[in-house]
Amino acid sequence: MDLQTLWLTLRLAASTTLVLLAMGVPLAFWIVSTRSPLRPFVEAMSTLPILLPPTVLGFYLLILLGPRTGFGRLASHLLGHPLAFSFDGLVVGSVLYSLPFAVQPLTAGFHAVDAALIEQARLLGAGRWRILRDILLPLSVRSVVAAAALCFTHTVGEFGVVLMIGGDIPGATRTLSIAIYDQVQDFSYAQANRTSLLLLGISLAALVLLYARRSGGGARHA
Amino acid sequence: MSDRRILAFALVLCCVLPPAFAQQTLRLAAAADLQPVLPPLLDTFQSQTGIHVLASYQSSATLATQIIQGAPFDLFMAADLSFPQRVIDAGRAEEAHPIPYAHGTLVLWTRNDSGVAQLSLDVLRGPSIRSIAIANPEHAPYGRAAQAALNHAGLLATVAPRLVVAENIAQAAQYADSGNAQVGFLSLTSALTPRLSADGHFIRVPAEDYPPIQQGAIVVRNSPNAVAARRFLDFLRSPAMAQRLAAGGLEPVEPSHP
Repeated sequence: MDLQTLWLTLRLAASTTLVLLAMGVPLAFWIVSTRSPLRPFVEAMSTLPILLPPTVLGFYLLILLGPRTGFGRLASHLLGHPLAFSFDGLVVGSVLYSLPFAVQPLTAGFHAVDAALIEQARLLGAGRWRILRDILLPLSVRSVVAAAALCFTHTVGEFGVVLMIGGDIPGATRTLSIAIYDQVQDFSYAQANRTSLLLLGISLAALVLLYARRSGGGARHA
Repeated sequence: MSDRRILAFALVLCCVLPPAFAQQTLRLAAAADLQPVLPPLLDTFQSQTGIHVLASYQSSATLATQIIQGAPFDLFMAADLSFPQRVIDAGRAEEAHPIPYAHGTLVLWTRNDSGVAQLSLDVLRGPSIRSIAIANPEHAPYGRAAQAALNHAGLLATVAPRLVVAENIAQAAQYADSGNAQVGFLSLTSALTPRLSADGHFIRVPAEDYPPIQQGAIVVRNSPNAVAARRFLDFLRSPAMAQRLAAGGLEPVEPSHP
């Protein structure tokens, strides 16, 4: 078992989850509070990454991140290296790939908060930022935790996108799921079993810890 | 009522009976490097024999695993000899040895706009080449050949940090054709496709730099279409078809490698 690969996978999942929460909370807040006619369009767009097969999504990302698009050239210029085949590129790909898993639970959680509470806060003079920080977020902790858990696990198990834009570079882009796939392709079934078991074990432990905390939070409400 | 019964009976018969008037179908598991060259030959074979060939193109490793696990293929055409050998070792082949049907050629390919002026193995030594696509040397035959060629040129250690590893040879072509990798070790079959011919150019890696990429086939054990499968292999090795394969990038098997 390769500790470097495990560490890289956890780092990728953690970075992706942080970026997605930082993006997803404002986006979900905008979705539940806006009256803009663009809302259904934005909400639909944020769901689309589920629709494409991951390898197809990865293929388009490979083209997008490459030197033949303006975006790819700009990113390459700003970072000093091309995005494809790099850890940063994997974060970009994973954020896009897991976006629905952040936005959907957050939007549902924010929607479930009593509208009367928000209205009262507004009447008392609370701004949008205070409403989000002091009402929406504390009352939808479960949804935030669910979003984080889904983003993290979805990224750990991500395969198709990483396969297409990663380039299987140890320490930079080789994740556990790629390592397991390689081991299966090499007919190293025993090794693949060990890696898979480790992946499942760690993920199960992390999820149990997370959900144990979550129900603790729920108990305080009761 | 009886009309309905007759209708129902006819429907059941249609589902249950083998399609006697339908043409014979040969299910072929073909290595990914065959995808650019094989389809027109399948049409020729069908028009000559009436046998329809249904081909699935995937990596040799995936196909070998599927056949060992009982996938219903009649014929397995791999991109090397080791994967058919695995199927033989698992007792899932009619043959005792893989039947060589062609050999592949490794090329070094680059886009015309990549800025690589004079394409050669030596140019990889310089720092201007930042990324080199190869197929996974652990299990892709062309990847193995590329690694051997780099090793032979004494370049492997120098370029190792700049290698981007694709799962198979088709993906290596995507890395290079999309411009994400500046150069790529590809199969001649990929390099000769209209798309890659239009986008870039290539040099053949000297044949003495890597062990030959012998491609072998086996008939799957207990295949109901074993006769048709052998007939198809003979067809591919006939001089006319060998010439068409060669035009697509797969050289005929030399007499020295029976």
